[in-house]
Amino acid sequence: MTASGTRAGRFVARVMAIAWKEVLHIQRDPRTLVLALVMPVVMLLLFGYGVSFDIDHVRLAVSDLDRTEASRRLALAFTENGEFEAVGGADADQADTLFRRHGARAILVIPQGYAKDLERGGPARAQLLLDAADPVTANQVLTKADAIALSEGRRVAGASGVSAAPPLQVKVSTRYNPEARSAVYIVPGLAAYLMAITAVLLTALTVAGEWERGSMEQLFASPVSRLEIVLGKLLPYLGIGLIQLLLILGVGTNVFDVPILGSPFLVMLAGLLFLAGMLGQGLFISVVARNQLVATQAGALSSLLPSLLLSGMLVPIDNMPAPLRAISRVIPARYLVDALRQILLKGNGFASIWDDLLAMLLFAVVIIALATRRFQRRIA
Amino acid sequence: MSPGQSIEAEHLSRRFGEFLAVDDVSFQVEKGEIFGYLGANGAGKSTTIRMLIGLLAPSGGRASVAGHDVATEPEAVKSAIGYMSQKFSLYLDLPVRENLRFFGGAYGLWGRELGRRADEVLELTGLAEHRDEITGSLPGGIRQRLALGSAVLHRPSIVFLDEPTAGVDPEARRSFWRLIRDLARGGTTVFVTTHYLDEAEYCRRIGLMVDGRLVALDTPAALKRTWVPDRVLLVRGRNLAAGAAALREQPGVRAAEPFGAGLHVRVDPAAWSGAAVAAAIGRQGGEGISVEESEPSLEDVFLAVVGRGATAGEAAP
Repeated sequence: MTASGTRAGRFVARVMAIAWKEVLHIQRDPRTLVLALVMPVVMLLLFGYGVSFDIDHVRLAVSDLDRTEASRRLALAFTENGEFEAVGGADADQADTLFRRHGARAILVIPQGYAKDLERGGPARAQLLLDAADPVTANQVLTKADAIALSEGRRVAGASGVSAAPPLQVKVSTRYNPEARSAVYIVPGLAAYLMAITAVLLTALTVAGEWERGSMEQLFASPVSRLEIVLGKLLPYLGIGLIQLLLILGVGTNVFDVPILGSPFLVMLAGLLFLAGMLGQGLFISVVARNQLVATQAGALSSLLPSLLLSGMLVPIDNMPAPLRAISRVIPARYLVDALRQILLKGNGFASIWDDLLAMLLFAVVIIALATRRFQRRIA
Repeated sequence: MSPGQSIEAEHLSRRFGEFLAVDDVSFQVEKGEIFGYLGANGAGKSTTIRMLIGLLAPSGGRASVAGHDVATEPEAVKSAIGYMSQKFSLYLDLPVRENLRFFGGAYGLWGRELGRRADEVLELTGLAEHRDEITGSLPGGIRQRLALGSAVLHRPSIVFLDEPTAGVDPEARRSFWRLIRDLARGGTTVFVTTHYLDEAEYCRRIGLMVDGRLVALDTPAALKRTWVPDRVLLVRGRNLAAGAAALREQPGVRAAEPFGAGLHVRVDPAAWSGAAVAAAIGRQGGEGISVEESEPSLEDVFLAVVGRGATAGEAAP
């Protein structure tokens, strides 16, 4: 053999042959590509517009038993800024009905004698009943209600001529995401989620397909090594994954005004390391499963759930119970989410994300090594 | 290994748990030979091939292929050979030429040389007109030729074909075997398994596998002589019935049965010639007698081997 005479030359030739074949498969079945590139954009738009952690117009039922000007002022304080929206008044003992039938999320109960208590200067009490089925929302509603009560308290104190300084000053400030927009927070998480799913699924399918088709035996009968198969399979999907990342960032910055304060190069590096790990995971699954159906299910489960729940995308890792926190340490998505947030939103550089990068690199090396080893065991 | 040998197996065995799939098999295949490996499903044909091509480690014995030991140098073996597996394993979603290019690439060919070899193989296999068609859209016979082309693209000195014509129509099988013989004429050693006995006639030598053991190995003609030693005669004429009855009483006559309008007679070749049979029938009133000697088929051989295989044990030399 002429041009391909050297060992390195043959290695490259084989890897490229496999990679090119993979590209042809993708070309022949563009559904894969469409899925890989359209799904991220659709999901990003859905999540970006649909999932909002910013809560306003909370449906509030007012049960005003006092029926005085002071009590009406209190109710007005809740609704005048649009944070709460009155959905009618009723008796407090109908709370269940209000929650169920009127869809109220909160009920403000102002007891009889509220105005008198105020005049006397004593503590006047009002009660807020919350539907805490969704604790995250309930928490936010509670915070808002607190703030409103406090400011109303100050107003009342000022009006009654008591010149003392307000008893408590609450100052809330949000850093990094000053307007507390969900999209800004969620884009790094979505990038991890979407890249994880596509990368794991695509590789899991392609390798399991070779087993099912019987072409894997043909490959093993040729001088192609396991490593060459693994690399040839991973390269094209690495490319697709990076395009995905660019798409997500593009939509994120253009539609949702997600900033890119740090280095775009670092973003791509983090994405590359993450993808290598996810592709390795897909490969490992397909080597073990050897059948497309099992590989799909295992691939979806092992990428979707951890990257959604344990990455810190939706639930802050610090708020997780200790066992979950421990598990999240071996979920690469966790490190990508952290790295992306640091680079994009804080403009941090290599010095503050090197540990994230190292963790992802480690995962990738270990899982690809495992997959390659396992590959060998199933033959001979 | 002697210089003329391509494949050499010595006491080759393979065990799967308690099951002995290949049991102490020894044979040699010469360069440029078409070597047929026959046996029922599960007789150990594919297992033998997989050991010879370095896919499966032998449990016992040794084998060398193209001068390389299959257990210690499987990579060298893989580079030297071509393999067409039993299960159809081309990529059906790719065009014909891309399949060739891929398998060429898998053997380390690239660039202009790869393109040139792919075109040569398209010519050789008569697939040039289908080069850009999607493989899955082609009939089985053409795909089979493409699979063979993929296996010889890198010019291996030996090709292993595992049931290459399974499920292909007779005409396509014939054109496939023309290709195999062309290859062998060009100096390529062909090791082929099949369960079509008519195909086995094309092989220079045949090995017969029964339950993991190689129970017979020789040229088709020699196998017939050894395993079906009777002379088979087809007798035509009129008034044959009395002659047949009389023949059956004679020593050295194994059978004399009506066959269509004639008789099917099997005799000990040492005691009876065709002329002697004709004369014997003529004496009993037979008229217009013609005797045609017919060869036993490989099917007769196969049945005889399988019938005795379980007890006969040792392989023929």
